[in-house]
Amino acid sequence: MSATDATWENDVFVSGADWEVVEDAVGDNTITVNMGPQHPSTHGVLRLILELNGEIVNDIKPVIGYLHTGIEKNAEYRTWVQGVTFFTRMDYLSPLFNETAYCLAVERLLGIEAPERAQAIRVILMEFNRIASHLVWAATGGMELGALTMMTMGFRERERILDLFESQTGLRMNHAFIRPGGLANDVTDDFEDRCRSLVAILRDKMNEYADLLLKNPIWMERTVDIGVLTAEDARAYGVTGPLLRAAGVEWDLRKAQPYCGYEQYDFDVVTEEAGDSYARFTLRLEEMRQSMRIIEQALDTLPGGPIMVEDKRIAWPSQLGIGSDGIGNDPSYIRHIMGESMEALINHFKLVTQGFPVPAGQVYQAVESPRGELGYAVTSAGTNRPWRVHVREPSFVNLQATNHMAAGHMVADVVAVVASIDPVMGGVDR
Amino acid sequence: MGLEEKLPSGILLTNLEKFVNYSRSKSLWPATFGLACCAIEMMAVGGPQHDISRFGMEVFRASPRQADLMIVAGRVSQKMAPVLRRIYDQMSDPKWVLSMGVCATSGGMFNNYALVQGVDHVVPVDMYVPGCPPRPEMLLDGIIKLHEKIAGQSFAEQGAH
Amino acid sequence: METSYERLISLEDVERKVQERFPDLAADLRNDELTVFCKPVQVRDVLQYLSTDPDIQADWLIDLSGVHWPAGDHEIERQPSTTGWPTYRVSRDQGVIEVNYIVRSIAKNVYVRVAVQTPDEAPTVPSVTDLFPTANWHEREVFDFFGVEFEGHPDLQRILMPEDWVGHPQRKDYPLGGIDIPYKNDKFIPPPDERELREVVE
Repeated sequence: MSATDATWENDVFVSGADWEVVEDAVGDNTITVNMGPQHPSTHGVLRLILELNGEIVNDIKPVIGYLHTGIEKNAEYRTWVQGVTFFTRMDYLSPLFNETAYCLAVERLLGIEAPERAQAIRVILMEFNRIASHLVWAATGGMELGALTMMTMGFRERERILDLFESQTGLRMNHAFIRPGGLANDVTDDFEDRCRSLVAILRDKMNEYADLLLKNPIWMERTVDIGVLTAEDARAYGVTGPLLRAAGVEWDLRKAQPYCGYEQYDFDVVTEEAGDSYARFTLRLEEMRQSMRIIEQALDTLPGGPIMVEDKRIAWPSQLGIGSDGIGNDPSYIRHIMGESMEALINHFKLVTQGFPVPAGQVYQAVESPRGELGYAVTSAGTNRPWRVHVREPSFVNLQATNHMAAGHMVADVVAVVASIDPVMGGVDR
Repeated sequence: MGLEEKLPSGILLTNLEKFVNYSRSKSLWPATFGLACCAIEMMAVGGPQHDISRFGMEVFRASPRQADLMIVAGRVSQKMAPVLRRIYDQMSDPKWVLSMGVCATSGGMFNNYALVQGVDHVVPVDMYVPGCPPRPEMLLDGIIKLHEKIAGQSFAEQGAH
Repeated sequence: METSYERLISLEDVERKVQERFPDLAADLRNDELTVFCKPVQVRDVLQYLSTDPDIQADWLIDLSGVHWPAGDHEIERQPSTTGWPTYRVSRDQGVIEVNYIVRSIAKNVYVRVAVQTPDEAPTVPSVTDLFPTANWHEREVFDFFGVEFEGHPDLQRILMPEDWVGHPQRKDYPLGGIDIPYKNDKFIPPPDERELREVVE
C-alpha cells in the first residue's frame, strides 16, 4: 500500500494546466498536492502529501525515508568507538548531542564515568551546539517565511561557533570528538578566552534577532496562533523539547535526569503558554540565552585534570599535540608503547584494531537535544561491537504531530508549522 | 593583424562558443537541492561569510527548470535516487552536476543497503568535491574549477548531457 | 501538566507494584533501569497499567524499538577471531525479535522498559496505537526494519524504506549490503567499473 495507489476511480490528474480547467475537473472534490521531497521549504527531503479544500489543508500525510542511511545497521559492524563517527552524522545540526548521548549510554554499560573536566567541556560544547542549532533553525525558518535577513544573520553567527568547534575538535561539523570514556583531545589553552568572547558576541547579536522579528508584524501574522499544540496532544504524540515547553509543560531532561553534571549549573527551563509557532520562536530565543548562562558557569568552574578515564583498556591516547607533519600524536604515549612496554604496545594495537568489549545488557540514555529528547537504546551482547543501537530521534517523533498541528490552516501555514517543528531529516530518517 | 586593428576601442572579438561559455560559467544558477549534512555547508556558502554571490550564483532556484547546476549535497538513498534522477531530467540543457561530499561521490562511510554508492550511478557528474562534509572553501574551489571546465567546453560536449 | 524533577517513586517500588499486579512477569533492575518482560498478549495490559496507576503514571510512550536475536550460532561477518577477546556468538534455539517499549512518567520522573519477545519467523505483537497515538510511526518503523506485524495498527506499511523493498534490513540475517571496497594489493580485483545510467521508473 502506498500513498499513490489509493482508489483512483474518481480521481483526475492534472499537471500545470490553466486553473479553469483544473477547477472544472475538480468540482467540489478535494485536491491532493504533493509537496517535496525536493522543495525549498520542507527542511530537506521531507515529502508532504496535502489534501486541500481550496486553500485550506484538510489532511497532511508526511512521507519520510528519503534520507534513510542505515546508520543503526552500519554501527553494528564497527567497534564501540567507531560508532561515534556514525552517530555524529545522524542529526547533523546537533552532532555533539548525538555523540554525548551515545557515549553516556556506552559508559553506563561499562560502569564508568568520564572525568569531571571532560564532562564540563562536553557541556560547554553541547550548549554552543544548541545555540548553533537554534541559529540554523531561525535562519532556515526565517528564510521559509520570507525573513531573508534572518537567514544571513543566523549563518553569520553560526560561523563564529563553527570556528570555535573547528579550533577545538578539528572539524566544523560531524566532530567525533566525544568518545566513550571522555574526549578525543583536550581543549586548547585559549579555549576559555575564545568561549567568553564568543558569548559576548552572541549575547549582543541575540538582541538583534529579537529586534528584527519579535514585533515584526509580518512575522507575527505568519506565526501567532499557527500550529497550536496543547500539552495533552503533545503527550499523545510523544512530542518533546521546545514544542512541549511552548505548550506550557516544564520538562527538561537536563533538570529531570541530570547528565554530565548539569545539576551544578543554575539555569531556567523556559516555558511559554500559547503553544503556537510564535511561542516556539520566543522560547528558542530565550533558550539560547540560557545556554550562554550555562556556558559561562561551566567556564567559571572548569576543573583541571584528565579528560579521559584512567582505565588503559578503554582509554585512547588523548593528550595529543600536533607534530611537524600535521598529525596529532602523544609523544610520551608513543615513547611508552614503542620503547618501554611491549604489553602496552599490544594493548594499544588491540584497542585500535578491535576496540574494547562492553558488558552485555541494554540501556536507554536520553539527553535534551535542541529538538527534544534524544535517546539511545543501546544493546550489547558482551562483545566489541554494538549488537543494536536504536536512536529515539526527537525529529522523527515530533514530525508525527504535523497533521494535528497544521490541518485546518492554509497551505502557506504548513511551511510555518514544519519550520517551527524544526525537523532535521538526517535524524528523522537515520 | 587583420580585423582587430581596424576596430575602434571598446570592441572585443571572440568566438561564439567562448562568449556563450563565459556567460554560462559566470551566472551558473544552482538548484535548491539539499540532502544531508553537506546541504548545511552549502547553505553556509550562501551565507555572508563565504558569499557565493561573488560568483554570480546566489540565486538558488527552487524550480529545477530554471537551474543549470545541481549540487548533490549529501547521501543519496535508494528511495531518493529516482526522485533525484527526475529532478535532473527536469533541468533544462545545458546542465551540470556537482557531487558534494564523499557520500554523494561514493557512498563514503555508509557502505550499506540503504544508500546509492555514488550518485554517478544515477546521473552523470561533472565535478566531485571530497570531504565529510567539505568545507565551504572546498565547495567554492569545486565551483571555480567547474566554471573553468565550463569555459573550456564545446557546445557539442554540453549538448551531450 | 504535572511534572517533577525529583524521582517520586523508586524503581524498586515500581517493580514491586508491577509484580503484585502481574505475578507471572519477570523484571530486571540493572544500570538504574527497570525492564519488565512480558508476552505479546500481555503488553497492552502492562502498558495500560503503567500509564494509569496513580503512583506510576508512565503515560508517555517515549520509544519503541526492535532487537533481533537470531537462532543458532550466530557470528557476525568480518569478525576477526582472536584469543583473549570474546567472540561474537549468540546461541539460541529459536530466533526472537524483542520489541522494547520505553514509557516515561513526567509526573513521577521515572521510566520503565517493557520488553516483549516474539518469534522471528512470524513476529506478531498487538498494536498500542490506540493507547499511544505516537506509537504509529514507531510501529511502522519496527515493521519496516524487522517485519513485526502489529495487529490492529491502522496503517501498517513501510516508513523509511521504499515501498517496493524486499526484506527487513535491520534483521541480523539481512546482509549489510553496499559494495566491496578492495584495498590496494588485495587479492580480490574488482571488475572494470561499468556503471550505467539507470532507467527512471515512472
